[in-house]
Amino acid sequence: MMTPVHDNATLRIVAKTKHLARVRTFIHGQISQLGFSEVEENNIVVAVDEVCANLIQHAYHNQRDAFIDLHVIIESGAVRVEISDNAAPFNPSKSQLPDMRQYFAEHRHHGLGIMLMTRVMDAIEYRPAGSMSTLNTLILTKRRTH
Amino acid sequence: MTSFTATVIKQGDDICVISISGYLDAHTASDLESTMQRVLTDGCRRIVVDFSHLDYISSAGLGVFMVFIESVRKDGGDIKLASMKDKVFSVFDLLGFPVLFEIFPSVSEAVEAFPASA
Repeated sequence: MMTPVHDNATLRIVAKTKHLARVRTFIHGQISQLGFSEVEENNIVVAVDEVCANLIQHAYHNQRDAFIDLHVIIESGAVRVEISDNAAPFNPSKSQLPDMRQYFAEHRHHGLGIMLMTRVMDAIEYRPAGSMSTLNTLILTKRRTH
Repeated sequence: MTSFTATVIKQGDDICVISISGYLDAHTASDLESTMQRVLTDGCRRIVVDFSHLDYISSAGLGVFMVFIESVRKDGGDIKLASMKDKVFSVFDLLGFPVLFEIFPSVSEAVEAFPASA
């Protein structure tokens, strides 16, 4: 395991779509000095936004007093974003991804967030709530190449 | 990183240019959907979306274009996209959307790509 260079950046939001902007500002602020290009930075922000939007709309169903915790860990070779929730466990990395040709042919218009996340990030790990934590945690890792 | 606006300008007899700006995400996608619906209700089927002032899009934003593209094309029209920043285009590209939508460097090129009206 790599040694964290910076390990104290956290944010908790109420699980409402109006707070997605805070998620983006927070993540962008954490990764903006790491040598990623503007496009790479934005793609990482999109991946985290998609995870949070899915939690808000599909796991929490906009329920009141639901929350999402974000924790960013900067390592010498990678950046990790831990996204934690207390909804029913759901491992997005095990979801069946859509065949895009079929998706376009059927003119579907939902269900692309997980696909985007998997195309942007280098590794995705899911830890459901259990004896170690009462929260489910999804860990997104992006390698630093600069 | 919160605001989103969409404004519609009629160009010529039958082309509608929808200029979008700000941040298009799961919270604001319904605003664009309402604007698109209004444009279609008004009878416009030749639509250009001007992305030049859009700073951010997530899959919820892409989904709005998927909602309308089939019915617009069935009526002989199209939704053409123009003037995207690289970071916005990247999100479209990651999901293969350039296969389904024509994306132009400028609004004028998108407008000119529509065949002449009968």
